[in-house]
Amino acid sequence: MSEQAPIIYIVDDDPAVRDAVGFLVSSVGYDYRACASGAELLAGLDNARPACIVLDVRLPGVSGLEIQRELQNRGAVAGVIFITGHGDVPKAVRAMRHGAIDFLEKPFDDQILLDRISDALEASRATLAQQGRREKLERRLGALTEREREVLALVIAGKTSKAIAAELDISSKTVENHRHNLMAKAGVSSVAQLISWATDESA
Amino acid sequence: MTRLALILFCALAAFAAPGAARAAEPVEVRIGVLAYRGAEDAERSWQSTLDHLARALPHYRFRMVSGTAAFLTAAVAAHRLDFLITNPGHYLELKVDYSAAAIATEQDLEGPTPSEAVGATVFVLDDHPEIQSIADLRNLRLAAVAPDAFGYRAALRELIERGIDPARDTRQVFVGFPVDEVMRAVRDGRADAGIIRSCALEKLVQEGAIGKDEFRVIGRRPSGSLNCQVSTRLYPGWPFVTVAQTPAPLARDVAQALFAMQPGQDEKAWAQPDAYGSVQDLYRTLKVGPYAPFTRLGIADFIVENRVWAGLVLLAALWWLTHVARVSYLVRKRTRELQAAHDAARLRGEQMEHTVRLSLMGEMASSLAHEINQPLAAILTYARGCERRIEGGADPQSLRDAVQRIAVQAERAGDIVRRMKDFVRKNPAPQVPIDPAPALHDALALFEPTARAADVIVESEIPDSLPAVRADRLQLEEVVINLLQNALEAVSAQEEKRIGLKVRVNGDRLDVSVSDNGPGLAPGAEEHLFDPFFTTKKNGLGLGLSLSRTIAEAHGGGLTVDPGDGATVFRFYIPLIEEPARV
Repeated sequence: MSEQAPIIYIVDDDPAVRDAVGFLVSSVGYDYRACASGAELLAGLDNARPACIVLDVRLPGVSGLEIQRELQNRGAVAGVIFITGHGDVPKAVRAMRHGAIDFLEKPFDDQILLDRISDALEASRATLAQQGRREKLERRLGALTEREREVLALVIAGKTSKAIAAELDISSKTVENHRHNLMAKAGVSSVAQLISWATDESA
Repeated sequence: MTRLALILFCALAAFAAPGAARAAEPVEVRIGVLAYRGAEDAERSWQSTLDHLARALPHYRFRMVSGTAAFLTAAVAAHRLDFLITNPGHYLELKVDYSAAAIATEQDLEGPTPSEAVGATVFVLDDHPEIQSIADLRNLRLAAVAPDAFGYRAALRELIERGIDPARDTRQVFVGFPVDEVMRAVRDGRADAGIIRSCALEKLVQEGAIGKDEFRVIGRRPSGSLNCQVSTRLYPGWPFVTVAQTPAPLARDVAQALFAMQPGQDEKAWAQPDAYGSVQDLYRTLKVGPYAPFTRLGIADFIVENRVWAGLVLLAALWWLTHVARVSYLVRKRTRELQAAHDAARLRGEQMEHTVRLSLMGEMASSLAHEINQPLAAILTYARGCERRIEGGADPQSLRDAVQRIAVQAERAGDIVRRMKDFVRKNPAPQVPIDPAPALHDALALFEPTARAADVIVESEIPDSLPAVRADRLQLEEVVINLLQNALEAVSAQEEKRIGLKVRVNGDRLDVSVSDNGPGLAPGAEEHLFDPFFTTKKNGLGLGLSLSRTIAEAHGGGLTVDPGDGATVFRFYIPLIEEPARV
């Protein structure tokens, strides 16, 4: 799966600030997208790209913290960096508890912002990769029948065909047939390979 | 003048009645007689003359009217006297003012010649040997009956001729009639010397009123045929005088009768009238009578005549002057105090205004700090971006746009700082013609960050340019921000927070209305809303609205509240002016 180029979302109601942050991140080569409000962000968010959201805490209408919660609900992969005009400790604590990368006070140091963006993108990439692996496993397992999934789970648990037949109250012959079909769907030739296929996402 | 009028009235009352009642009887002829020793003495001296006239002219009924010189003058002025027997001085005065003429001069058959009949005697107590001559009278107290007494005047001439100014070098004690009072004043030590008519002293000694050697005459002069001690030159005796209204035939008859009079012992006789030239000399020397300088006579006589009143008038004048001085002092003092109080009040007003502005600024400060932070953050971020691009070998031309944006943001921060600085400025600007629009936009710009922080939506309608008003720009901003701030607090508990700021021209005035969708005014709050120190806020000074109204009124406008349904509207208005705004 080829990785997409990361994107930085900049959400601030002040056009000058979002333009300036955009100017900064583009000077180190990032793509960015400036949004005037949370609604604009949510409408245009691409959840398939590694992303970082530079989010102003104070926004008209929906606040930065509310957007953060909404992003979590949607399972967004983007890392969130808050920026604020004031050091607002309670808000910072809440933001960090909900997984924000950092809480930066304006005017912020450009290096720290870029470092945090980098951190956020890394986390985003990791999340995105994990998400990809989980999807791959789910796709593999999704191709199996329910009986095959039951047999696979018992194979992974180290049970013999006899024990499996007894547990599932089916014949040993039927268990053998399921195992054969499983090996064929996974494209493997050994039980060890089958176990690896079913549990190791990286394979 | 009151006293003169009173005398005239008495004279009228005395003479009018008999004249009218006895028209059929012999014609009454009224003869005024100067009474220098009282009425009784006067009658005693002149009764024989009147008796003689009555005998000689039986178809007339002669009536004697005695009185002081002032009284007789008034009677003459009122045409109530036909003749007078008076002293030469008085005669001279009447001669000028009432065409008086002497038709005879008194004569003592055994005594002096008519032209040397009267003088004055100046005397001291016998136990004062140091006073010998008239010249010794300098710095002494002189007693006389009255300032216009003939003897006194005769003596004054002698003093003046010896270089003594009677007014400056002596003190006068006027004791009034009769002449005995003069003797008493000297005897009692109230005066050092007395001046009386010649022969009065001898007469008093003869009557036993004084001791023979009790008094000593000083400055004696030869008395000629007059058998008395005199200290002055001698003047003619008293004249028998006609006045302007005396009928000529009557005057002639009376004169002839007088000349024909045969006096008995101690009785007066009458001779041809003297010219009274020596009396004129006397009066000229003294500058009195007809020779008095016009004004001095009037004022001096009036004051002497009315000394009680003059004293009262002087006291009144003194009181008035003191009063005027005191009042003007108090007025100056009060004016100073008032000015100081006014200055202090103005200063307090300015200080209060400043305090309210500082308090408003305090409420907006944190939002404004955030507001300044925005352009600063942008500037810093643009600058760092430029740095990185330059390090990356970017074309400087490509940075032009970013550098321009940096400048714009720096200006933006500067504007905010300027507005804040202006708003907390201490010295109030005078009211000058201005376009109110920029001030209103500035006020809104100062307030908007606070509204944003509080999630309040401000819906504003401010034209870009407005007709001129005469205003202190700062105070204008202060009122608007104060109203906006109040509105913000009013909506703080609402789900959706909305404030309206509407500016429009309404006829000849500018209306600025601030509305809110808050819960409305507390019951009973409306009537106290504009009172100083009335507040419903926890941290409010309670000065905002009272001060805003004061400012509105100082601009010739007003501040009203309309607690309508759903929206409370504060309306601030000031009059528009014709003049163009100053830029």
